[in-house]
Amino acid sequence: MTLSELLQRAAQGDQQAWDALVDRFSSLVWATARAHRLSRDDAADVAQTTWLRLVEHLDRIQDPERLGAWLATTARHESLRLIRRGTREQPTDEPDLFEAPDAEMIDRLMLEQERDGLLWRAFASLSDRCKTLLRMLVADEPPSYEEIGSALDMPVGAIGPTRGRCLDQLRRTAGVAQLGA
Amino acid sequence: MTDNPTDQTSSDDPLLGQLRRLARTVDPVPNEVTAYARAALGWRRVDAELAELLADSRLEAPSGARSIAESMRSLTFRATDVQLDVEIEESGDRLLLLGQLAPSTKAEIDVQRDDGTILASTSGDDLGRFRFELPAGGRIRLVVRREAPAPPIETSWI
Repeated sequence: MTLSELLQRAAQGDQQAWDALVDRFSSLVWATARAHRLSRDDAADVAQTTWLRLVEHLDRIQDPERLGAWLATTARHESLRLIRRGTREQPTDEPDLFEAPDAEMIDRLMLEQERDGLLWRAFASLSDRCKTLLRMLVADEPPSYEEIGSALDMPVGAIGPTRGRCLDQLRRTAGVAQLGA
Repeated sequence: MTDNPTDQTSSDDPLLGQLRRLARTVDPVPNEVTAYARAALGWRRVDAELAELLADSRLEAPSGARSIAESMRSLTFRATDVQLDVEIEESGDRLLLLGQLAPSTKAEIDVQRDDGTILASTSGDDLGRFRFELPAGGRIRLVVRREAPAPPIETSWI
C-alpha cells in the first residue's frame, strides 16, 4: 500500500493503516530526537508530540510520498523547542551511543567486548557531525537522504560525501580495521 | 539521488550494518513510545476543526541564556474563521494561561491532557477572553466550543 493510501485510511480511523505508518517511521522519528542529543525521556516526549502532530494533520499532508521528510522536520522542530525550553536533564547512567561505554555498560547490555565495545568506542570518538549523521543513517527502515536532510537541516548534497568521510574515519580508528572488512 | 552512487549502496556497507545492529541494541525505540504512537490515532476527532499552531515564542526565541522572558510563552492558533492567542506564564509548579478569541465570541473552553482527562473548564467572557490556572507540566490542548452551528475547535498540542 502506498503512503498516500495508508494516510487516507488512517484518516478514516483505520488502526492497521496507522500502525503500518508508525512501524515504518518510528525509528526515523526516534533517531531524529536522539541525534539532537536528547535524553531518552526527552526523546520520548518529542516522539510522542511528533505522532500527535501527524494525527492532527492526517488530512493535511500535502505530499504523502514525502511523509518521512515531514515527520523528520516535525521531530527536528519539536527537538529544538524542547532544547530551548532549557529544562533538559542528561542522565549519566543510560546507554548513549554518542558516549564511550564503560565495561559495566557493555556487560549490562550483554555486548561482545571485542566487537561491539570497539565499534561503540570508535563511534563515540568521532566528531559530533559524523556521529549525528551516522546515527540517522543507521535508523531502521534506512531513511532516505531527503529524510536525513530534513531531520538534521542539512543539504541533501552534503550527505553522501560526509557519510563517506565519516565511515572512513570510523574504519581507520584503531581496532576497527578488522571490523566491517 | 541517482547521481550519487554511494546512496544506492548505503545499506550495503558492512560497517554501517554493524553500527545499525549496535544502535538497535544500545538505543532502541522504547516500547512505550511505540505504544503511545499507536494509541495516538484515538485522539483524532472528525467533528472538530484543528486550530493550527501559527506562532510559538518558544520556537522563535534564540537558544542560549535563559531569561525572564522565557517563563512567558505566547502562542497563536488559527482555525478557518477564528484566531486564538494564548499567553502562558509559568511560575514554579503552576501556570497561568490567558486566552483571547478573535473575532471575539462567546465560548466554553476545556483544557485537555493527553491521557484523556479534562484538566479544567471555563466560560469565556463577551470579548472572547478566558483564563486558567493550571498545574505546570504535561502536554495539553484547548478545546473551544462556540455556539452552534460553529464547529468545535481543537488546538494543536502544546
